[in-house]
Formats: sequence, C-alpha cells, structure tokens
Amino acid sequence: MSRGKKFFLLTTLTLIALIAVGQLNHHADPGGPAGQGNGTVLNATKAATNNPLGITKVPLSATGMQTLANNVAHVAISVNFTWLLITGFLVLFMQVGFAFLVTGLTRAKNAGHMMMMNLVSFVVALMAYYAVGFAFQFGGIAPIANLGGTSPLTSIFGHGSAGVIGLHGFFLQSGNTYDVGVLAFFLFQVVFMETAGYIIIGAIAERISFAGFLFAEVAMGAIVYPIYGNWVWGGGWLSKLGTSLHLGHGAVDFAGSGVVHATGGWAALALAMLLGPRIGKYREDGTVRAFPGHNLGYVVIGTLVLTFGWMGFNPGSTFGATDLRIAIVAVNTLLAACSGAIMAMAWTNWKWGKPDISMTCNGMLAGLVAITAPCAFVAPWASVVIGIIAGMLVCWSVEFFDKKARVDDPCGAISVHGMCGAWGVLAVGLFADGTYGIGWNGVSASALHGVQGIFYGDPGQLGAQIIDIIVGFIWAWGVMWLLFRIAMRFIKTRVDPEVEIAGLDEGEFGQICYPDFVIRTETDIGVTHELDAPVGTSAATPVTSD
Amino acid sequence: MKMVIAVIKPFKIEEVTDALNKLGVSGVTLIEVRGHGRQKGHTEVYRGAEYRIEYLPKVRLEIVCEDADVEKIASTISESARTGKIGDGKWWVVPVETVGRIRTGELGSDAL
Repeated sequence: MSRGKKFFLLTTLTLIALIAVGQLNHHADPGGPAGQGNGTVLNATKAATNNPLGITKVPLSATGMQTLANNVAHVAISVNFTWLLITGFLVLFMQVGFAFLVTGLTRAKNAGHMMMMNLVSFVVALMAYYAVGFAFQFGGIAPIANLGGTSPLTSIFGHGSAGVIGLHGFFLQSGNTYDVGVLAFFLFQVVFMETAGYIIIGAIAERISFAGFLFAEVAMGAIVYPIYGNWVWGGGWLSKLGTSLHLGHGAVDFAGSGVVHATGGWAALALAMLLGPRIGKYREDGTVRAFPGHNLGYVVIGTLVLTFGWMGFNPGSTFGATDLRIAIVAVNTLLAACSGAIMAMAWTNWKWGKPDISMTCNGMLAGLVAITAPCAFVAPWASVVIGIIAGMLVCWSVEFFDKKARVDDPCGAISVHGMCGAWGVLAVGLFADGTYGIGWNGVSASALHGVQGIFYGDPGQLGAQIIDIIVGFIWAWGVMWLLFRIAMRFIKTRVDPEVEIAGLDEGEFGQICYPDFVIRTETDIGVTHELDAPVGTSAATPVTSD
Repeated sequence: MKMVIAVIKPFKIEEVTDALNKLGVSGVTLIEVRGHGRQKGHTEVYRGAEYRIEYLPKVRLEIVCEDADVEKIASTISESARTGKIGDGKWWVVPVETVGRIRTGELGSDAL
C-alpha cells in the first residue's frame, strides 16, 4: 500500500475511534433537542449560571408580578439593542458595496486609489465623528424609548425649538456618555455618517489628492454631516418646525434621504465644482468624452451589496424590533429599489438604444435613496411610484450634470444621492399617509394620525419638507464649498496632470492595483495640452541627444 | 528566410493553429493586438456620452520560415482564418536577416 493510502486509512480509523469513544460518554441533553428546556424557569433554578436574567421561580404576588414585568421589559430592551447593533453591522457592510461600485465605475489605473479612499474614509471619518461629530449631532437628543429611556444625552445649545448643536458626548466621555445605550446608538449613527462620508468619493474620484480627500472626510464627519444632522435628528430646529411654525410634524426624514444622502450628494457637488473635470472629459469642441468604468461586474456586485445593507439602513431606523413597522419599512425599501432599477433600465433603452448596465444600477440606488426618508410612512404602492420617479430623475440628472452643468461626476454621486435624496425628503410631504408616526418630533396636537403628506390632508408637512430640502442644500453645499476653498489655499487638492494621466495608484500610493496587467493610461485623446511644457521655457525645446 | 505576419480575428486562433500544425510549421508567435482596416471602428454610448471604439481586438501571428514555405503557410492561414465577413484581416511577408536558436546556439536554417 502506498504511503498516501496508509495515511488516509489511519486517519479514517482514528476518526471512527474517537467518535465511538465520544458516543460511549454521551449524556442526554437536559435542555432537549429543540432547546425546549433551555429557557424555562425550572431549568434556570437548577443552574444559576445558565440564567442571564437571574430569573427564579415567580411567586404569585404583586412583587412577583412586578419582577416578571421588569424581566420582560429587559428582554424587550435586549431585543432592541440587538436589532440596533445588527442593523448597524449591515450598514457597515454597505461600505463594501460602495467600494465595489465606485471602483468599477472608474478606470483601472485608479483602482487602488478608489479602494484606498473607501477604506480610509471609513477610518478617518469615524474618528472625527467619535471626537466631536456625534456630540454635535446627538448631544441633546435625550431618551430613546426603545433603548431603555434613560440617557445622558441631554445637552443641546439653543433653547426649546431653536436647537442648533449638541454638547454632550465628546470622545464618547463628556457628560457621562460612557453608557451602553449611548454606545449602541453611537455605533448605529456612526455607520450612517460613514455613508454620507463615502458618497463624496464618487464625485472627487480620479483627480483629488489624498491630502484633499482626507480634509474632505474630516470636514464631513466633524462638521458638515453632524450639525445639519442635529437640526433634523438631534432635536434641533428643523425637527421642531411642527411646534414652532405648526408645519406638520416638523422636518421628517425617517432614515436619512436628506440627512445622509442629500448631504453627501450636495457636498460632492461642491467638491466636484471646485476640483474641476477630469483631464480630457470635455473636448475643445464642447462635446463630452466617455470614460467607461473598468469593471461593470464590480458595479453590479456593489449595487446588490448596498441593497442588502439597506435592509439594515432603513428598518434599523426604528431603533428597535419591538416596533413591528420594520416589516413595512423593509418591503417599501425593496419595492422602490426594484421600480427604480426598472425605470432606469427602460429609460436608457428608450433614449440610447440599449439598456445601460451602470445606469440600471444607479436607478436601483436612486430608488433606495429616495425611499429612505418616506419608507416608514407610506404605503407599498407609493414606494413603487417614488422609485419610478427616482429612476427617471437619476437618468435625467446624470445627463444634466454631465452635459449642461458640465460638472464631472465620475460615479453619478450628485445625481443618485443629491437629487434623489432631495426627492425622498419631498416625497414624505406628498405620500405620507398618516398610519405611522403619531407624536413624531414631539408633535402630539393631532394625536389621531401620524405623519401625513399633502395628498392626505397636511400641507404643513410639505412646507416643512421643502424648508428641510433648501436648508440642507445650502448647508451641505455651502459649508463644504467654504471649507474646501480655504483648504485649497494651504494644501494641494488636485494631483498633477502627469499623475492623473498615468493613474493615481502609482503617483499617490506607489502601488498598482493590477500589477499583472498592462494598464491603458491614455485618455484616448490625441493631445493633452495640460502636459505640454509652457511655451518659451527650456523644457519646451526638443531634446536632440539621448 | 522570411517572416509571415498575419492579423486575424481572435476566435479563429484554434482553426488557424490546427491548420498550421497539420502543415508541420515549427514555430509561431501570437500577440494580442487591436486594429482595423477598412472595417473601421464603431460608436457606443456610455451614460449619455458617445465614445468611439476605433481599434477592435485582433490577434497577430508571426511565423519565421524558409522562402519556399511562404506560399504554403500564407494560403493556409488565409483559408483557415476566412469568414467572408468584413474584418477578417491581412497577411504580409517581410524578409528576415538572421535567425538563432537560443537553447543550442544554432544559426540560420538549422534554427528554424
């Protein structure tokens, strides 16, 4: 027998022997094969160490009943903590999706640069948000019922309905915020901030310097995102428009079409405008040059991963699974995603003769972005309509920014997140049907119905949404524009033309994403004037010797 | 000695290789290239912007051989690579000054 066969036989016999010995020492499972006995009180009294809540036999008395009720409440809170954390992890996974999406939509010579930005945006923005961002946004949000009701997040600057910035929670320490509820909430909120943080990558791609990118990410995590976020979600003045100006339930944005996506999209617009288009994007005669993405497979993978992660993004925003509206939220999200994709596919087929793969993906994302604000408040049919309109809007918008506005947006971030995010905020003011959200933003005057749009009789809500959109645009675009404009005086925010043509992988990181392949570096143009030596300098004279 | 160069459609590689093997050709080099003749390229649309695909994927074969074998090799390639549709390719012949086999150091016809 060969050595190989001997070894195989010996291993198999040893395995059988071990199993046999194990079986001989087998004891019956006290909990039963389906775990029936694991959770019962009788079982728990036998071994106190198997008993996470320390439940013992319940005497039939008032105290006994109270203890039982407390234990039930604790379990409910535990379910909600679990829900919040798990959905937060799903949103974290969206980072993977976006990395694939934008890397696939850009050129191979920049793949390392794109991936690095997606990785680093996560780590840098998180630290900025941990340091100050979270405190600015949620320092004064006060108790969240689903997480147990007690909270040290009680400091907001700006009295009553005029809150503008939170002040508890710097470095997750100040104001006694080293607390399980606060930290669970932080995890969920930080991954939402990350989403806004990586949206800008889609518009600054292929020409921003790493230093410029780092600046933009810190700005997003520390200032741009959290302060507007305070106004809508942190108890700030936009959320209080229902009380202060009697506009519906104040600005309503369930999971962040405005707070997350529009903020990211408009900040992206400011950055793209300041950076300027990629070399070769616009020919001398004014026509637009296409830079096809290098891997449409990545684009589709990224889109589907983002859709999966969105199952955490939207349903998680109830902050608890005890709120069974999560089911409706999840289904509404999927409906808008699919109707958005179909609409974009149909539109591109009609307009350009063939269904565009990347635009179909953008259509799906547009639907997801647009449903993010209204998902808890609208009926399924409305979700389909919202998705359809988002699909049309994103197609129109991509062409508008590319050709008319002449803002180079490599991945369509401005269109998918800015335009469709604004549409999502508006959609709440139209389609919200009042079946959910009683007492939202502290508006309990009309305790008979929840958040309602104009189609269901509350024009005030539409007013609040419109104010939200305008303020959101001015803040995100304006502040990012201002901060980056200042940064441009001190740091180099765009790479040299030679680096841009050769690809940022080598120039910015000294590492090529695909070293085994011959990467095309030409931009398919005959002459690159940006690379010519200035006329009249010695560099312009031809070299005659070698 | 001469070198027969042929630019053909990529999906014809197998057919041409089989035909050349049957002929007994001793060495072939294959290079992946892009190109066009009178076929020209074509225009596509990407997210609303038109772009031209000027150069289409082709395959270039190079065979160094004796003068006497040129006609046989060229006609074999021509017949096996033909589809009858535009873009089939071209072949041409260039003279070769010297050939050397790297493993043994043989020169000239012994190196073929």
